[in-house]
Amino acid sequence: MWALRTLSGGLGMGLLFFYIGIGLTAVLRNWFGYPEVWDRDFNVTIGYVFGLLGWVMGMGMWGSWGREWFGLRTHSYYIRGWQRYFTWSTDHKVIGVQYLATFTIVFLLAGLMAMLMRLELATSGLQFFDKSQYNTILGLHGILMIAVAVAAVVGGFGNYFVPLLIGADDMAFPRLNALSFWLIPPVALMLLITPFMGGLEVGWTAYPPLSVQTQTAQGFWNLAIVTFGLSSILSGLNFVVTIIYMRAPGMTWSRLPMFVWSMFVTAWLALFYTQGFAVALLMVTLDRIAGMGFFNADDGGDPLLYQHVFWFYSHPAVYIMILPGLGIALEIIGHFSGKPLFAYRYAVGAFLGILGLSGVVWAHHMFTSGIPNYLHGPFLVMTELISIPTGLIFLSALGTIWMGKLRLTAPMLFALAVIFNFANGGVTGIFLADVPTDIHLQDTYFVVAHFHYTIVGGEIFAMFAAMYYWFPKMTGRMYNMKLAKLHFWWMFIGFNVTFMTMYWPGIQGMNRRIADFPAAMDGINFFISLASFGLGAGFLVFVGNMVYALFWGPAAEANPWGARTLEWQTSSPPPLENFDEPPMVTGHPYDYGLPDAPAHARFGPGLPAGTPAGGGGGGGG
Amino acid sequence: MAKHVVSVVLLWAALTAVGEALVFADLFPTVGSHEAEDFDQIFRVLLFMGIPVFNFVVAMLVHSFLRFRAGGPQEGGATFKGTGAIPKVWLLLTSCLAVTTIIYPGLTGLRKLQSEANGYGWADTKGTLIIHVQAFQWGWQYDYQEYDGEKLAVSVFSLHGDGNELVLPLEVGARFEINSTGAAYDFATEEPSSGVLHSFWIPAFRMKIDAIPGRTTTMTVKPTELGDYGRDPAYRVQCAELCGLSHTTMDTPVRVVSQEEFKTWLAEQAKATKK
Repeated sequence: MWALRTLSGGLGMGLLFFYIGIGLTAVLRNWFGYPEVWDRDFNVTIGYVFGLLGWVMGMGMWGSWGREWFGLRTHSYYIRGWQRYFTWSTDHKVIGVQYLATFTIVFLLAGLMAMLMRLELATSGLQFFDKSQYNTILGLHGILMIAVAVAAVVGGFGNYFVPLLIGADDMAFPRLNALSFWLIPPVALMLLITPFMGGLEVGWTAYPPLSVQTQTAQGFWNLAIVTFGLSSILSGLNFVVTIIYMRAPGMTWSRLPMFVWSMFVTAWLALFYTQGFAVALLMVTLDRIAGMGFFNADDGGDPLLYQHVFWFYSHPAVYIMILPGLGIALEIIGHFSGKPLFAYRYAVGAFLGILGLSGVVWAHHMFTSGIPNYLHGPFLVMTELISIPTGLIFLSALGTIWMGKLRLTAPMLFALAVIFNFANGGVTGIFLADVPTDIHLQDTYFVVAHFHYTIVGGEIFAMFAAMYYWFPKMTGRMYNMKLAKLHFWWMFIGFNVTFMTMYWPGIQGMNRRIADFPAAMDGINFFISLASFGLGAGFLVFVGNMVYALFWGPAAEANPWGARTLEWQTSSPPPLENFDEPPMVTGHPYDYGLPDAPAHARFGPGLPAGTPAGGGGGGGG
Repeated sequence: MAKHVVSVVLLWAALTAVGEALVFADLFPTVGSHEAEDFDQIFRVLLFMGIPVFNFVVAMLVHSFLRFRAGGPQEGGATFKGTGAIPKVWLLLTSCLAVTTIIYPGLTGLRKLQSEANGYGWADTKGTLIIHVQAFQWGWQYDYQEYDGEKLAVSVFSLHGDGNELVLPLEVGARFEINSTGAAYDFATEEPSSGVLHSFWIPAFRMKIDAIPGRTTTMTVKPTELGDYGRDPAYRVQCAELCGLSHTTMDTPVRVVSQEEFKTWLAEQAKATKK
């Protein structure tokens, strides 16, 4: 039983190291004469650092990696069957599935929390939860969904399909990749135990001084976020190197599939900016356990400092979430429209433009925070400029479907919905980028509706598009297309009714993150709650369809969609080394409907001698 | 091709015509101040500009969805790749639109909001009425400092449900100087703390600004409509920054009265404070 052996190794070592850390801290506290040897936040933080190391080492990092630092022989093994998903696997396809399965579960869980919030918000007053429970649910829904949005598509589909799409046999750093994933379970554990450790009360943004002063389980939350940041940075690095150096011969930059382009830009964002988030929460942790006073005005600190550092990351993070979503949408629209992807180069330019601008717009989250007035103008301008590169994504999508021969399968429907929803989220974003309107709308349900339109409407819809698109490749089985379309229409209507309505109470002055509201807004909130329950129920169709297909679905062909890109030119699911024979890229991925266009790739020996890896010299653009 | 263009343009025009009705709809809470009038106008301008943009995407999607379906998987469609003039024209048009939006209503609105370097609100930034606001977990204290050049010593301590109001005179520029503190109120069950972030927001006036420990923020408004919380929930001070356990009930009533009434109220309060 490899799975049991690995997991018990990880858990055992994790717990052992955790207790060593806690104990060591207690001993040192005693030795230095502190009156109390036990301070929950302090001891747990040190213990956690030890425990995290024990966990990843015990999971297999020691055997397959750590030993070589000391000149010992490392073990490598390959396990078949379901058990490999519970071991330290360095196969990018296994890691992709690990991410996807983990975050699908987290997504459904966090969605359930949204249902609980809507239950409480169905009428004014407090009915089902007390304030502290509501704040906990609110904070957990927020951070878990942020984690899903950041890691499900990047970690799941990115890991599984970027190497396949560029014709590589794995990621550049497979062991680092395994480490990135196995850092996630401690994150999930620390977040999910918070309700039993005192709850949360600061929301996912964790603004100090409250996050420093609060007596809730904030400490656990901070540790989770710092770990998550580490995982995200490592995986960003891995994608950057993989996409630069691991491309098959002939896979030039101008032949790169759109999803890979979006992942390339996303990976740079994750590598550059995630540090902001991790550092912000590290500073909160140090404020809490070591009284460093970064954010305490009485000690000469400044609460606004946190907001800047936090939004350094957390605005680019929005693009870490949405860009892979837009990449998936263009990828799928490109394959299902029966004609070439429109304005490919402009769409690539759009991704690069967003990469450039995303780092200089953060303070638009802070228009009402008391920052100096002169900062409002520049951030208004920069923020609204982002609409120009974003517009090019719409150009590419709409130009591709125009006069096309659309195959309206479930993935295509979801991809088209991404364009619809994101148009809504984009237009309402202008109201929030514009300072005078933002001053009223900031922190209202208008904001809630807007960011659900961008992130759920943009990315989560794309995530489902990708699930339906790549499910046959990953599992070798096909789902029921009628049920998939039913899920689409259910989710599309449920989502739009819920969140389109939500703009209005926001304008009317209903603020967010509250369990109670003026009774005058009872009617509209009851309606939104009903719509959201409808939206939530639709996911049962998805779960049922997917679980059935996973075990009993008919076998899928290697290329059920007739797509040109590389992942469809190998078996479903692909073999360990991805391709039986090495691929050579010879044409553009989206040249559909062109009678004399060369194939995207051919396989086999007979490659020109000395063809460099990484696509560099592999042929003209 | 031409008939598709015509029908998509017609669809776009129809959707836009219907959508633009929103511009004339009354989506907003009570217009209680000069700031609110301008906010609503800017909101309408953005809506007016945004609806055609959104509906262009919708029209293209709907038309393509209905009319460009494949008969079979091998059938080819058109073959243009978008390398000609269309992307350039698109880029030019969207850039013009973005720059226009940035200038009007963006920067022009911002300039009015911040008519002076430290201004925040349309009313005159010095203010005829000056009120110090202290935010705490979970309520507000208003110290009336000055009215029409006269020093005041009136203080209102306001918690959710206790009925104590922020009272403001009609057509007078009120300047709020806002701070956050932990000391003003001590719930028996909670330990005192050194203040967290809050946000001072009155929906009827469309203005808000954070209350920050260690800093003073300012905001000015000029109320233009009589009103009170009992009849209109837009007349409330609402905390708009998550501030802990009872953030959800950190709202207290506001009342806008005539200037004469305000003077009477001030006199009553001054007496009560002396006692």
